[in-house]
Amino acid sequence: MFDYPIFEMPFIGHRLLFAFDAILHVFISHGAAVGGSVILVLSQWLAIKNNDHKLDELSYRILFTFFILATAVGALTGIGIWIHINIINPAAIGALLRVFFWKWFIEWVVFNIEMIFLLWWFLTWKSSPLGTPAKKKNFKLGLTYAIASWFTMAIITAILGFMMTPGNWLKSYFPAEPDYVAALFNPSWFPSLGFRTFWSIAWASAMAMLLSWLFTRNDLELRQKAMRLYGTVLLVCIPFFVLFGAWYYNQFPQAAKDLFWMGAITRRLAAHPEYATYLTVALSGMVLFGALALYTKPKRAPVFLAVMMLIGSMGLIAEFERVREFVRKPYIIYNYMYANGVRVADVPYLNKEGYLKHAAFVPPEFRQVTDANRLVAGKYLYQMQCRYCHTVNGINSMKARTKGLSEDAIYIRIGSLNSAATPFMPPFTGTDAERKALAAYLASLAQDRPAIAYEQKLIEVTK
Amino acid sequence: MTDFRIIPGDIPLPLPTMGLDFMEPFFHGLLVVAWVVHILFINVLLGASLASVYFNSKGAKEKNSVLDRVAYLLTTPVTISENMGALWGVAPLLLVSILITPLFYSASIMNSPHWLHIIYGNIAAFLLSYLYKYTWHTLEYRKSLHIFIGAVGVALFFTLPWAFMATVQLAMTPSTWTYNTHFWDVLLRSDTFFRLVHFYLATFAVTGVFMLVYGMYKRRSADATDRAAAVILTRTGKSWFIIPTVLNFFIGPLVLFSFPDYGVEAFFENGYYWLIILTVVLTLFALYQLLKDFFNDDLPPARVWTVVGVMLIAIISMASLRHGMRMGLIKPVLEASHAKTELFQKESLVAFEEAKNITKPEVVAAIHPGQALADKHGCLACHNPQIKVIGPAYKEVAAKGYSAEQIVELVHAPKPANWPGYMPMPPMPQVPAEDIKQIADWINGLK
Repeated sequence: MFDYPIFEMPFIGHRLLFAFDAILHVFISHGAAVGGSVILVLSQWLAIKNNDHKLDELSYRILFTFFILATAVGALTGIGIWIHINIINPAAIGALLRVFFWKWFIEWVVFNIEMIFLLWWFLTWKSSPLGTPAKKKNFKLGLTYAIASWFTMAIITAILGFMMTPGNWLKSYFPAEPDYVAALFNPSWFPSLGFRTFWSIAWASAMAMLLSWLFTRNDLELRQKAMRLYGTVLLVCIPFFVLFGAWYYNQFPQAAKDLFWMGAITRRLAAHPEYATYLTVALSGMVLFGALALYTKPKRAPVFLAVMMLIGSMGLIAEFERVREFVRKPYIIYNYMYANGVRVADVPYLNKEGYLKHAAFVPPEFRQVTDANRLVAGKYLYQMQCRYCHTVNGINSMKARTKGLSEDAIYIRIGSLNSAATPFMPPFTGTDAERKALAAYLASLAQDRPAIAYEQKLIEVTK
Repeated sequence: MTDFRIIPGDIPLPLPTMGLDFMEPFFHGLLVVAWVVHILFINVLLGASLASVYFNSKGAKEKNSVLDRVAYLLTTPVTISENMGALWGVAPLLLVSILITPLFYSASIMNSPHWLHIIYGNIAAFLLSYLYKYTWHTLEYRKSLHIFIGAVGVALFFTLPWAFMATVQLAMTPSTWTYNTHFWDVLLRSDTFFRLVHFYLATFAVTGVFMLVYGMYKRRSADATDRAAAVILTRTGKSWFIIPTVLNFFIGPLVLFSFPDYGVEAFFENGYYWLIILTVVLTLFALYQLLKDFFNDDLPPARVWTVVGVMLIAIISMASLRHGMRMGLIKPVLEASHAKTELFQKESLVAFEEAKNITKPEVVAAIHPGQALADKHGCLACHNPQIKVIGPAYKEVAAKGYSAEQIVELVHAPKPANWPGYMPMPPMPQVPAEDIKQIADWINGLK
């Protein structure tokens, strides 16, 4: 957005940079923390009930792995999502923080409970042997941790739900006056929370099954017990998250539903929506086949099946998160803010007065388009409006998109970005002169013209 | 009055004060406290992880099992403080993001991608610290490898404050912003440099105080090696506290006077120098307490708690004066930023209302329904009836003489080979066949 400095991520672009951190966070927070705490509390409870030392030891080893993952990678990539969006789309995270401050604050308090009880549970497990009262206390620590970690997810899910289906959260645009309660209880919060809760537990069970396989190489009886336990949990969760998923899907705006299949694959393959079905069926097949095989033949099933099940689950999770992010386009907060940080309500003003006029971090000599500065002005416009999804010559590159096009053709195309041809793109925002400047810059990219070098020097001189 | 070259805009949504007047001062107070807690954990993390590697290698060299125990004991505070440190960094992040939004976001963007080091560098350091801790017994006989792992982790941890300090310092000094400010410009500035030196020295001092407390507890341990280790902790704690603290008396003024003039002026005008005096007096008192018992390995608990209490007050006082300095530096820009945002909103409202009142002109000429559908489905984004835009002109398409059915197929699954030299058309399977047939009818009628 025009209020902030420009950070460009070359080649991989902002989307992949963000996705890398975010998907890592989802894998670990949902698996090792939210779902992981539930299944480990369950297996610790069974170990206490049956005085089962082997199951207790196995649970501890799984917890050890989950602990390392959750604290070193899960928590930090969670803060990382925030840090990434700070530099990628500050206008959006700024708005979300203003609306969700207190929920986030409460989340942080609960996050404290989560972290303290995780440390306490993990660090005192060994000094609380089975059959002693200390063990029962230790179990309660785990239970508290499980409840707290679910609660943190519940709040974050509300924010994600809000971005897609904000509901009637804005009482007035000028001055913007949010309805905080409506924002929290947005239409997709409960369904998406149920959906995430059950697949988290299922996914954690899949992780635990692979770990159990690795940790029970010399004890097939224990392996059988673990596979039956975690396998049951996994299989029971499936119908629940499918049902919640359907309810969740139902809440999507129609425009988002229309983009669904394109989000599930790439735009290049949009002619073949059936590929998305094949992919989903194949991934689900990997998970189901692996889980059933490990469940029914725990002593004979090879580790390959557990790995396959894990890869299938990761594929499904990544697919879901990609679709969720894709179908929200062209918005980052539905109907309020476009993906490139422009508020929908500000578009008429920016179109009339100019976008660059307000760009605080653009040197003043480029805030008004002239014949002399149009290429650099165009470059600034590209950086402020397009680089959220595009790169110059990497992923989704502008160079490839405009190859061989004339300046006029690009100019015409810029005028209908948010049309049915590309319904996921925000409209270009700015005056006609600015639109021409952007076209000129993109044409110079398309034709590899060095003209920009001269104007670039101007920037260096004026800095 | 300082001229600020760049005034960023603010988020056009109200502060979440729930309509309560005391909420904003409360936010500021909470920010100071949460920040102190965060920094204290980070101090112990850096200091204890460095001390652990130091004693580990010293113990290996001298074949001294007590030193090895000291090193091992220090891994527990590392685990706790790295987790709690990250956690308590979230609260300041939350508060800074609403209180000084435009300054903080702008600074972190200017320092990117280096700013991301606080995530990825941190994850790597975290994992190395766990590897170091949990291979203590497995690598007992491969000490050089073990120490190497620990040392790389510590070195990484020590680079994280560069990203933090550069960003915080840049956010606090908007008068230094240019259209081309980047991370290394900020990191190598004298104000950032002195603050880093001050921070690293304070890290040793805080860890020193922590070692006094930790040593006091371990002195009561049932294990004889633990008790011997406690003596080392106490001795180290004393010198780690005293030497860096004395050095910081000299670095502190350098930090203060390396800030921009208008900030220093606001600082003195608002009376914050009293807090400096308070901090210095309290710290001198703590130093005196320790020097009195410098050669006593069995430091009385009352003495340790006195030092802890006095230093906590000193730290809160220092954090408050820092917050005062921060606010003095950014207040003029924040005010300008709010005013700018308000003006923008006012002007935007006018254009918004105007746009709402413009009634769409009635479509007068009876156009072909196919043309209307082509517009509706976005075809005209790339195709013009008469001239080449991105795709071929429709009259050229008409010249190919496709049947309506063929055009339906080509819209759903285009064949770029038919149009060499053009950009391939994306498939548009969402357009219903019935609509395409009407569009085809319109296209084929064009000349």
